[in-house]
Amino acid sequence: MAALPARLGDWRQARELLRNLVAKELKVRYKHSALGFAWSLLTPLLMTAIFTVVFATFLRIPVDRFAAFFLAGYLIWQFFANSVNASVGAIVSNGSLIRKVYFPREVIPLSLVLSQAVHLLLALAVTAPLFYVLRGNFLPFVPALLVGLVLLVAFTAGMSMLFAAVNVSFRDLQELTQVMFMAWFYGTPIIYPRYLVDDAVADAEGWLMTVLPWIQRIVEANPMTWFVQLFQRPLYGVPAHPEVGAAPPTWPDATTFLVCAAWAVGTLTFGWWLFRRRAVTFAKEV
Amino acid sequence: MARRGQQAPTADAAHAPDRFAIDVTGLHEVFRVYTERPPGLKERLYRFRRARYHEFHALNGVDLQVRHGETVALIGPNGSGKSTLLKCIAGILPADAGEVAVHGRIATLLELGAGFHEELSGRENIYLNGAILGLSRAEIAAAFDDIVDFAGVREFIDAPVRNYSSGMYVRLGFAIAVHVDPDILLVDEVLSVGDQTFQEKSLAQMRSFSQKGKTVVLVSHDLGAVRSLCERTLVLHHGEIAFDGPTDDAIEAYQQLLATGELPAAGVVEEGRTGDLRARITGVRVEVAGTGGTGRGGQPSPVGPVAAGSTARVDVEVTPQADLIGQGGLSVGINVRRPDVQPSVYETRTSWRASYVAPPPQGTPLTVTFDLDLGLLTGAYLIDVMVANAETNVLHERWTSAVELAVEGPTHDAGIATLDARVRIDNPDGVWPPESHPPPLDEGGPRYHPVRDGSDEPEGARDAR
Repeated sequence: MAALPARLGDWRQARELLRNLVAKELKVRYKHSALGFAWSLLTPLLMTAIFTVVFATFLRIPVDRFAAFFLAGYLIWQFFANSVNASVGAIVSNGSLIRKVYFPREVIPLSLVLSQAVHLLLALAVTAPLFYVLRGNFLPFVPALLVGLVLLVAFTAGMSMLFAAVNVSFRDLQELTQVMFMAWFYGTPIIYPRYLVDDAVADAEGWLMTVLPWIQRIVEANPMTWFVQLFQRPLYGVPAHPEVGAAPPTWPDATTFLVCAAWAVGTLTFGWWLFRRRAVTFAKEV
Repeated sequence: MARRGQQAPTADAAHAPDRFAIDVTGLHEVFRVYTERPPGLKERLYRFRRARYHEFHALNGVDLQVRHGETVALIGPNGSGKSTLLKCIAGILPADAGEVAVHGRIATLLELGAGFHEELSGRENIYLNGAILGLSRAEIAAAFDDIVDFAGVREFIDAPVRNYSSGMYVRLGFAIAVHVDPDILLVDEVLSVGDQTFQEKSLAQMRSFSQKGKTVVLVSHDLGAVRSLCERTLVLHHGEIAFDGPTDDAIEAYQQLLATGELPAAGVVEEGRTGDLRARITGVRVEVAGTGGTGRGGQPSPVGPVAAGSTARVDVEVTPQADLIGQGGLSVGINVRRPDVQPSVYETRTSWRASYVAPPPQGTPLTVTFDLDLGLLTGAYLIDVMVANAETNVLHERWTSAVELAVEGPTHDAGIATLDARVRIDNPDGVWPPESHPPPLDEGGPRYHPVRDGSDEPEGARDAR
């Protein structure tokens, strides 16, 4: 190590630490629960059951195979929301460590994101047969899923660092995040297909004619809309009314892919830059 | 792991002899102390109402250069900035002004077991904590057995650390930290953990660090440890370096700081002599009755050897160098110590004995005589002499190791003081003094005995029993 430039040594150390912290997160999370890892699969499945009963049976959201449609989006959402929610208070709650030891602070949010990514991978692996049975063969599109996963992790990591850094000087964010993510969830086409928004805009009357186009623009600008789409296409297919029947799994279109790539690179760059800038004084503030 | 400084130095240059291991110049560290709760939504919304805080200058322009291989202690009262300085060197806190340059891989022992996870086993925590301290998996694996043995937690290594006693917890933390094998080790008040045995092990570990040519910066209130580990000590006071020099002088300055709130006005005049020198020790004379051992302060050879139990007369002559009349009495004291033992063997001052010593006019000597019973055992003893103001405790002069005294005591005892045991053994048939007739070995006699095995047989020794 003596011959290596200092920065490289730093980087090697950070990677080592990151690996250990991810392992810790995974080990500790279900240490005392009887079902252990099964929970990272059970939760989305139970949620799917509940949402299917409420939104497909009672409220009759007009989409083919609601359970598969919902699960494809919800797995992605759960990863994103859990990562950011865990990261937002992580710098503050690890204060004693930050005040006592020097290490690259990025590893705290990154380890949380990566451990969530492991849960996501497991959940995808276990629910894969379900998609296969309900929606058809998605195996040819696995490369799209892998690229999507990389982009999603990059986007989520950027967001997590952003939230973690801002929360150090602005502690209210931690409380705000709960509500914010609730709104964000409903602003993302997960329990409803995106064409319902377009239909509503087309059918709008009166004051709704001014409000709904705005909502449509918000949904369109929402990066999670595109990430959900990025995974929905290869896992579920193109959403459509039940009587029409949704198209089987396919490649995501170029627009979706490019929008997601832009969000991933932009968010990661900005989030990391801000985090680095703020990290210098973390030890003083926590 | 040298990270900071304006230019990131490469590790090649880290050991260049012309570079300091630690080079701190003009370091300021400012903390905002909020008088209300930390800034939240309300403060952000009402921008006109500024958050109320005052600035606390934890470090006020500190300069510190530490050479490679040096072992340096930082001492000072609580809140003087010791830990802050250490954190700045470690890179945990950024410099608000000034520069911190570090050349070499750093490890910090600021809090033992920081980053331990309660639910994980000792084994898992060793890997996790090692990674936090910057070790690779291979390095930890190589040191793993050493760490476990050093901490003495082998049988609990697979139990969650939640179940560890607090002693085991900190021992494990310490064991990991000292196995980081850094170039520079920063230690904050962690040497006093664990029981006596473990403390000795920790001290030995620190010593071996110094001997291996590593740079060590130690913050401690344990002055005994500081004395035994460091040659150079800095005293911090209100975020400034108040003293930088030999450890004994630094500790003297620090103790005076604690007692009076002020530092000695003048520094070291010559080796071993410190104080404000408004009164000086102009002579020290030692005479041991009977054995004829005499000596003067500052002579290179020890007085003696003198017999244990004899009486020594120590004359201390002090002379005011300024007009001290009306500024309170003088206190003249002596401190007898062994160079290898903490704390001192014996210390007294005239002021402790409630005797008022009026300062003589400027330039007029005054002699205080101490008659000492040397109830000591064999060894070298050092006598420190001091003169201070009896009321304010301001030190005029301390002469460390003014005289060395060699004492020869009975060879059948060991230690410092002779408590002169009278020995009785409650087993008349099992004790065979030199002049007795013991039975052979297989009938319960001693393995060797001068009478039985052919030395001169004392007359009637057996009958006397």
